[in-house]
Amino acid sequence: MDIFIQQMVNGLTIGSLYALVALGYTMVYGVMRLINFAHGDLVAMSAFVGLTVYTQIFGENITSLVAVITVFVFTAAIVALVGVLLERLAYRPLRTAPRLSAVVSALGAGLVIQNSVMLIWGPNMKIFPSNIFPSTIWSFGGVVITFTQVMILGLSSILMVGLYFFINRTKIGTAIRAVAIDQDAAKLMGINVNRIIMIIFVIGSALGAVAGLFIGVYYRGVTFDMGWMYGLNAFVAAIMGGIGNIPGAMLGGLMLGLFNAMITGYISSQWAETFTFVLLIVILVFRPTGILGEKVAEKV
Amino acid sequence: MNMLPKFAASLAVCSALVSASVAADVIKIGVQAPITGEYANEGQSINNGVKLIVDQYNAKGGVLGKKIEVITCDDQGTAQQAAICAKKLVNEGVKAVIGSYTSGATEAAQTAYFRAGVLQTSDGTSDSLTKHKYWTFFRNSFPNSAEADYIAEYFVDAKKYKKIVVLSDYSSYSTDLAAATMKALKAKNANVIYEGKIKAGTQNFTATLTKIKSMEPDVIFFGGYYTDGGLLRAQQEQLGIKADFVGGDSNDNPDFMKLAGSSAKGAYLVNVPTPDILPYDIAKQFLADYQAKFNMMPSSVWALMNVDGLRAILHTMEQLKTEDTKAISDSMHKMKDFPGITGPVTFREDGERIGAGYMTYEVQADNKYKIVYPTK
Repeated sequence: MDIFIQQMVNGLTIGSLYALVALGYTMVYGVMRLINFAHGDLVAMSAFVGLTVYTQIFGENITSLVAVITVFVFTAAIVALVGVLLERLAYRPLRTAPRLSAVVSALGAGLVIQNSVMLIWGPNMKIFPSNIFPSTIWSFGGVVITFTQVMILGLSSILMVGLYFFINRTKIGTAIRAVAIDQDAAKLMGINVNRIIMIIFVIGSALGAVAGLFIGVYYRGVTFDMGWMYGLNAFVAAIMGGIGNIPGAMLGGLMLGLFNAMITGYISSQWAETFTFVLLIVILVFRPTGILGEKVAEKV
Repeated sequence: MNMLPKFAASLAVCSALVSASVAADVIKIGVQAPITGEYANEGQSINNGVKLIVDQYNAKGGVLGKKIEVITCDDQGTAQQAAICAKKLVNEGVKAVIGSYTSGATEAAQTAYFRAGVLQTSDGTSDSLTKHKYWTFFRNSFPNSAEADYIAEYFVDAKKYKKIVVLSDYSSYSTDLAAATMKALKAKNANVIYEGKIKAGTQNFTATLTKIKSMEPDVIFFGGYYTDGGLLRAQQEQLGIKADFVGGDSNDNPDFMKLAGSSAKGAYLVNVPTPDILPYDIAKQFLADYQAKFNMMPSSVWALMNVDGLRAILHTMEQLKTEDTKAISDSMHKMKDFPGITGPVTFREDGERIGAGYMTYEVQADNKYKIVYPTK
């Protein structure tokens, strides 16, 4: 039983990272019907930005709550800015072009970001200092959970719940949902569509930045090309939950993490990826629009 | 239709003329190594080591009265890039290639060098590297089977481990080392309770480790690379698995310690003698020169192994006074106890280096190594 709960903790930790990244995919898709393939590379970039911010401002050996918060806020702001620039330069000129052009542009933008990271920070693996978070470990019976895991689970749940209420309870959230349903009608209602899309990219990129930083803090070693792996998994999570659907992305991410951990734990790591994609196919056969369906809001 | 053979023939003459005119000035030596990517610090050390030796030769007037030129190709540690590098270096007309670091990348390029008659010397440890018996190939390190025998002896005879876990990744080197270790352990009737694989570069190994935790092993042996080994060690500690951690030779890298962080202390690494404890004068001289030129130490002993391969080739070239690779190879196969940086170099008929001596190191709190076996 301990082992089962431990596997759940393992799975939920990585799953909430997938969920944070998946939100970026799903929000952009919901509003623009575009798969933002550059998103995974933004996540990888944020790990490097975060590391630079940390070492430049605080040096290697400082650990304080202020330092951690500053790094997260700074990194999220920088990456959000890059996300907005990405939309301006790579997607906005193509908004009326055929959808395939925008997808190709997204793939290209991803390569540009990935290679820029390689040129700026170098091709070698960079390693986060081990003392950003305290190395406290709690043990309940045979189940152990680290401070970093608690932070990952806690902060990502707060962010996801916050986002859910932001989308469903605020004026800007309502505008986002309106743009998702019909851009032209939203425009006629006096909604500034460009501004809404900008907000989407700010939120999506900032969430990705948080995920990227957690990857750095939790796993320590970061490489310029790691965005592909996290991007692909998060993309699968977004589709599993129903792309364009915000609770769907959260559910998809957590499910994917759990499923992977359970397959690895009870069958074998060799089969984890195979089973993951079999699961995806099965879900799509029975529910072609994902578990929770595709739309951000119901058309009434 | 019969234009084609003529054209091809004239082309061949042209290229022969071109290469002959080039060959008159310099002797080209290729380096195929992971200059970028996960194993970049190893690849760069190999490249630096080769450049250092070549500079020293050139300062004395080169070999056979010709300057040596180094051409480096980055294989990123992958088989695909390795095949491209092989083509490129062969086209450049190199006489010998130093590298690569990983067995997979070495294996992917091996046949191309053999067909072109280009000498190759690599630190790749997969036993499969010498199975073709290519006359062009010389392993400058020792094969996995030698390490596996040592590990079996250490685990069973010295440490008397009762429950052993063997982990590896899917790379050519790691699969080979795990298989050899399994065979050696079975021969000693050791109790291996779990043999599993992780996917290199996936970072999250907690699921596999949690499964292992329930089996309560005495030791976890990981026969993969340091980029995964460091994380495995950190996550083992995090999950509170009490077992000893023993990393195979490719975990011997400063990044292992950085990735494992505070968990590095107490981990065991198995490798041939590390650079700083090599007792030979040429080793001390080489390391001092390396430090002076690059202002750092080589990442690990692998760069030194490759340098020994290069030194053996250049030495033979000078002795025979020939650039004929076949003649050099024949002579190298008979080479006995050539004074190498990493110890005496002796090659077997199939290009295997013989005379391995392994050690187990325990990582100390300051990330220094302490030799724990063999105890002398």
